Amino acid sequence: MDLGVFIQILVWGIYAGCIYILLAIGLNLIFGVMKVVNFAHGELLMLGAYATFWIYTFSGLNPYLVIPLAMIILAIVGVFIERLCFRPIMGTGKLNEIFLSLGLIYLFQNLAAVFWTTDSRSIHSPYSDVSITLGSINLPVDYIIIIVITAICLIALQLFMKKATLGRAMRATSQNREAATLMGINVERMDMLSFALGAAFAATAGSLCLITGQMVNPYVGSIPAIEAFAVVIIGGLGSIPGAIIAGLTLGIAENIVPLFMQYSVGLLGLEMSFSAWKDTIAFIILIIVLVIRPTGIFGEKEE
Amino acid sequence: MKYGILIAVLAVSLLVAGCVEQPKETQQGVEEIRIGVVAPLTGGASTTGTDMWQAAVLAADEINAQGGVLVNGTYLKVKLFKGDTETSREGGVKVVTKLITNDEVDFLIGGFSSGITYADQVVAAEHKVPFIITGASSPIITRRDDIDTSYFFHHCPTTDDYPDSTLLFVDEIVKPLIDERYNFPENRTLRLGVIYQDSKYGEGVYDGIKKAIEEHNLNMEIVSAEKFKMSETDFRTPLTVMKAANPDVVYPAAFLNEQALIVSQGRRDVGLDTIYLSVECNDDTDYYTGVEKWGEYSIQESRFGPYVIPAGPISSAVVKFKADFENKWGAPPSMMGASTYEGVYIAAEAIKNLGGTLDKEEIRASLAELEIPQIIEVMQNGVITFSPDYRESKFDLYMEQLIWNETVGETRPKIVWPDSVKETDFVLPDWYKPGGP
Repeated sequence: MDLGVFIQILVWGIYAGCIYILLAIGLNLIFGVMKVVNFAHGELLMLGAYATFWIYTFSGLNPYLVIPLAMIILAIVGVFIERLCFRPIMGTGKLNEIFLSLGLIYLFQNLAAVFWTTDSRSIHSPYSDVSITLGSINLPVDYIIIIVITAICLIALQLFMKKATLGRAMRATSQNREAATLMGINVERMDMLSFALGAAFAATAGSLCLITGQMVNPYVGSIPAIEAFAVVIIGGLGSIPGAIIAGLTLGIAENIVPLFMQYSVGLLGLEMSFSAWKDTIAFIILIIVLVIRPTGIFGEKEE
Repeated sequence: MKYGILIAVLAVSLLVAGCVEQPKETQQGVEEIRIGVVAPLTGGASTTGTDMWQAAVLAADEINAQGGVLVNGTYLKVKLFKGDTETSREGGVKVVTKLITNDEVDFLIGGFSSGITYADQVVAAEHKVPFIITGASSPIITRRDDIDTSYFFHHCPTTDDYPDSTLLFVDEIVKPLIDERYNFPENRTLRLGVIYQDSKYGEGVYDGIKKAIEEHNLNMEIVSAEKFKMSETDFRTPLTVMKAANPDVVYPAAFLNEQALIVSQGRRDVGLDTIYLSVECNDDTDYYTGVEKWGEYSIQESRFGPYVIPAGPISSAVVKFKADFENKWGAPPSMMGASTYEGVYIAAEAIKNLGGTLDKEEIRASLAELEIPQIIEVMQNGVITFSPDYRESKFDLYMEQLIWNETVGETRPKIVWPDSVKETDFVLPDWYKPGGP
């Protein structure tokens, strides 16, 4: 196997991992604080991508500069979802929360189709022509920017959670909601904040996908959301470090493992493509992790 | 009490349903031709499905504006019924059952996606309802032997037809230019990369490629074949693997969104600067927008596109159809819309020959013997007729090359093959990189 091809594919794996991490962290923030699994998280990615698309289209700004605006818009959307949908049913049973979030998938997809049609839309990165070439490896600048943006998001989140009063209050709420309430923390405000941050991270993921040439349509969020759920379960529900490690592992494994499989059967004289096995590989990893460690890599047993 | 109300509501509903007059036939005989349009009106392929429905409505309106279909001195109106497959196999089965048992349609027209049609045609076969398939490309639709396919009539090119024409074009036009520019010997074998969807459609095109190479004894070899899952959005890894195999030409068998990403990721991210071929379903306005400048100089196989009108006897009919469609619906028609529009006319012509009956076996026989002039797509020998073996109509396909248009900021297609409809010569771009020696 050519080393250049291997390194090139490793880069694609890290890129895919970045998108998974951003989505999975949002899911984990919401689950950590509210103990709610938001199945409509992929739709927040879709709305974030649309927000970037429309702001970019009307303003003509550099699409990377548009991302903070899309994050703010989606944070507001997240607050509305929490206030209007999840808060009224909190504590009424897990089944209600699950069906509510499943219902939101169809609601957001259909609303997007009504408002913006099912046509696919794309934007053009100003750096799409710029690449760094190292031997046989081609590194488009857009992907380097995406890896840097993801790292900045993660560092900012870490600083917020460790240093800021609100961040510490969120951590306290996620560790013990009742004790946090007794300590005077407004846990409902923490719910809103977790949804706002989760939606903002999803908006970042959606915007970065769009900038790298993915087309946005009302149904674009479904597949990344499934991958993000796998990341969350592998890393451990509610664990931010778990999401980072699992996201990178999954992104790299999905891209590298098919190559190894193809190479291995090639040694046997067979020609087969395993590129369509990406999701299968993700779920094989998920099954292995669950069998060995049912709570995920960094998950903790519920008391 | 609760159950009492429920039973009362049910009883009243049944009574009302029984009293409603069914308009299909009166005591005097047939009043209308009932056609079910099977298309994905919601879900992932709803843009195409809506277009198919709108084209069918346009055809029905045109026929009805003339009074209807003249049968035995009486005019029968065409009445369409919406059949939304929801872009799923289950949805297709459900809606075809509803169209047949509830709406009692005489014909089914449409059927986008081979996978969905493969599932829902079973219902049509059981009830022996004639189905003019205008959107599913796998030849298996009329060739499978586990059901009675004699009621299915395939009015769109199959996955065998696409590669046949496309590779003949590559052999005749592209290969000599590559050989000439790079001083390759004439007998050098052209290196073909194939990236195809993991579906009946994708596998059908891949099989068609192998068949075309063998049947026409083309000097080509497949040096890389990569499979991907339907709706995939990340093609960087398979394209990187493909680049390492040094193909001269890359042939994706993909849907619109996938094709645009394959071309853009291939050229921008992977640096696979080659000639990309494209299956006809991507000849759509959305594709030209989505593929951006990366699609420049790629090849689009087609039979009906938004931006070209092939020269010849049908050009005025195409112009009129496009204008009427755009006036009625505010957007240009797509290829699937064009064949569905023709499907309604084919159904009307089949009925004309029957002398007033809507017996389904007689409709089937009439369709099997049908021979009418081409309408808005170029047909082989200028006529629409179904082959006696697998009931397939045969189209004359043409190749377009995408050329950058500064005014609109997108690429636009120009027909480069065959000579009978050619607008300009094929160009091998300066940035093109050939495969291995």
